[in-house]
Amino acid sequence: MTFIEKKGVLFLKTLIIIPAYNEQECIKKVVENLIVNYSEFDYIVINDCSSDNTKSLLETNNYNYIDLPVNLGIGGGVQTGYKYAMEKGYDIAVQMDGDGQHDPKYIEKVIEHIKQGSADIVIGSRFIEKEGFQSSILRRLGINFLSALINLVSGVKVKDVTSGYRAVNRKFIEIYAQEYAQDYPEPEAIVNAAMYNARILEYPVIMSERSGGISSISSLKSIYYMIKVSIAIILYRITFDKRRTKA
Amino acid sequence: MNIILQISFIIGILIYFYILFYLIKKKSLNLKYTLLWIFSGLVMLIVVIFPEIMINITKILGIIDVTNGLFALILFFILLILMSITSIVSSMKEKNKQLIQRCALLEKRVRELEESYSEKIFK
Repeated sequence: MTFIEKKGVLFLKTLIIIPAYNEQECIKKVVENLIVNYSEFDYIVINDCSSDNTKSLLETNNYNYIDLPVNLGIGGGVQTGYKYAMEKGYDIAVQMDGDGQHDPKYIEKVIEHIKQGSADIVIGSRFIEKEGFQSSILRRLGINFLSALINLVSGVKVKDVTSGYRAVNRKFIEIYAQEYAQDYPEPEAIVNAAMYNARILEYPVIMSERSGGISSISSLKSIYYMIKVSIAIILYRITFDKRRTKA
Repeated sequence: MNIILQISFIIGILIYFYILFYLIKKKSLNLKYTLLWIFSGLVMLIVVIFPEIMINITKILGIIDVTNGLFALILFFILLILMSITSIVSSMKEKNKQLIQRCALLEKRVRELEESYSEKIFK
């Protein structure tokens, strides 16, 4: 493990991965906040071939960013961040949305368990303390269903399976750099981690409603999303054993 | 089977093989992926030259009309070929994704190198 010293305190090398797709309204606020208040963590913005001004914003402000030449979707974007974290030898990677939904004040607490070695993955969850933005009833119903399904196939109990606010240790940086679900990756990534015997923990966080941009899941697509993710999870579970023996 | 029908089938299959080999010769088909096409062409040829095989199989299976058995066979091969195409596209998509990511990571490194280089020059 590599420790870095900042402000006289020792930190594990931590990278915050911020996937961004058309986030010109928020990205500046999010990154400035990190630079000013959380300088002990490094960050990287993954611009997933945005069609708005996200890229020029990143460029002119001289932020640390990776620019994908082709749009890959959220899964491919986040995975690029994990690949970067692996190359640069980070010990902890924290994934955080670029739309301002996730408050970085929780990062310290979230990675505490990883630092102590008591968890491999910590997920920031809206549904433990039930505070802050809770999403619509229908969507929560869907999330509960996916949560039950994931529990059924993998045995892990995670309430907020679609939360994109999560921290992983070095072992899972390496695993996610190798394989990461592509289209709607959050729930599948949990099953994936469970297959590698991850110790997954949830930490209560308060999320705000998006302050700009549009959610990657529109209400019309949510039924399609549910079916697709359920099938993906089940298929992943069924086909996994073969791959594990090969590895 | 009617002899005229049989001859037109054979002509059709010959055209099929001609196009297939023409494409292979032009190198617009990767040989690895054309094996399935060659194989299904051969099966068609055998069935047309010896229609008794097909007639017997359809009788055993309880299919009344031989042509229906033929359709089922063709459908089976089409499904097989489509599935292999899906698998080829999937693996291409994965490779494509890895290339894009690699490219983006390298682009970042080039950017950093350029910056540090210009810093050195202006010092």
